[in-house]
Amino acid sequence: MTNWKASGLSKDLPPANVMHADWQGVDLAVWRSASGRLSAWVDRCPHRGMRLSHGFVRGETLACIYHGWTYGVTGACTHIPAHPDMTPPATITATRFEVTERGGVIWIAAKDDPTAPPDIAGFQPLRSLTVQVGEQALLQALAADAPGLTEAEGGLRGTVQIAGLDTQICLMLQPKAQETTLHILCGAGAGPAQVSRWAESLRRQIEDRSAP
Amino acid sequence: MIPQAVLDQWYPVAMTSLVGPWPGRETQLLGRPIMVFKTQSGAVSVQTAQGQAVAVTLAYGHVWACLGTPAQDLFALPEAAQPGRRLVDCGVVRVKCSPLRAVENFLDIAHFPFVHTDVLGAEPHTEVGRYEVQIRDDVDEVWATKVHFYQPQAAKSAAGGIVTEYMYRVAAPTAAVLYKTCPNRTNEWDVIGIFVQPLAEDLCDVYPYMALFDDVTPQADLIHFQQMIFLQDRSILENQIPRLLPLDPGMEIPTQADLTSVAYRRWLKRKGLTYGAQVVAA
Repeated sequence: MTNWKASGLSKDLPPANVMHADWQGVDLAVWRSASGRLSAWVDRCPHRGMRLSHGFVRGETLACIYHGWTYGVTGACTHIPAHPDMTPPATITATRFEVTERGGVIWIAAKDDPTAPPDIAGFQPLRSLTVQVGEQALLQALAADAPGLTEAEGGLRGTVQIAGLDTQICLMLQPKAQETTLHILCGAGAGPAQVSRWAESLRRQIEDRSAP
Repeated sequence: MIPQAVLDQWYPVAMTSLVGPWPGRETQLLGRPIMVFKTQSGAVSVQTAQGQAVAVTLAYGHVWACLGTPAQDLFALPEAAQPGRRLVDCGVVRVKCSPLRAVENFLDIAHFPFVHTDVLGAEPHTEVGRYEVQIRDDVDEVWATKVHFYQPQAAKSAAGGIVTEYMYRVAAPTAAVLYKTCPNRTNEWDVIGIFVQPLAEDLCDVYPYMALFDDVTPQADLIHFQQMIFLQDRSILENQIPRLLPLDPGMEIPTQADLTSVAYRRWLKRKGLTYGAQVVAA
């Protein structure tokens, strides 16, 4: 059993970028430094509560967009532009989560989590897709629409007929209140464009059915 | 329950020039539906949904209302009547934030280089020097004086970068005014305000207001300038967590540059003006 949650695809977060991620209802800022180091922090600057996911990466630091408070990869505040000659007190830090990459997926867990992220060797990351239904409703719909997929660590895996080809699919689920993001990976079978179209039509089908 | 101290304050509820006949502007104040309209005699009236008329004052281009018993007269802004000034109503901007956070952001200088980049501030000119802050008991207002900041384009009429001097004033719980170096007259201050209508604890209508010495710049350009600035602020205000303004220390970390904000929070707490505030740390 793993506590790690798929929170994006590695290729969608290039160096010197930051994005927002929802981890079990907690808002996080996930960012990659210029040299490629990944961090996941509570999405809140301790100064005035601004979302750090709106900030900007310079080199090995993330800065808040509101007042430019700058944090290194340890989470410690290293620079307060309003007081450029002051060394920020060590107590000013971003709140860190565990983050790692495996199989082209960004995985996030609480601090010091003892489990490991799922092994998804053999699959290539394709894309992420958000479906406007909650996790349980999505799992029920997938059981009906894609019976070849069975529950596996972190999501679903199995064989699906796509464009007449048996295709290996791995769906990693990132639930958020009334929506669920699918991180789609594929193995042997149909090509990426065909799998992408299959996923989009699946989304429409599920959303149409759940529409009031 | 809304504290009586909150109900007894003046709040802006409309631009006077836009008030029409019944039912006029249908809006809300402190979560309560109100109508702002002109009577047949031409007077401006503000009524609750129950048809009860509330206290009204017309000033500075806006209609001000008080749901309780006004604790004092509306603040004085003598510059609004000073000959030679242009009064500019800048419309209204709806912001999904606490009205108090909107005021606090207006009092803040340190964000200029990052939020109003190359207009009100620019790196590397980020330092906020020491300035003076007082809660003036005689007028019951918060004042910050001797604030200096380097600005690439301090006003629509400014040609290049200048060090601008500011004074900031919290004149009412949700109304703040700043006085800044006037590019056209060395012995006068330009006056810019924001009047914030608390629709709910986490929703407000913000009316920027200006009284400037500027006979040249077209009105539309002045309004566009102010709206550009405020829309940049809105992208911050709608993304602060929590939405309510924390009044207890510990939830957020101020520095010396935030002394105005610290005084504003202390003043609000002391007066029990907790509408839009988070009093107990979450």
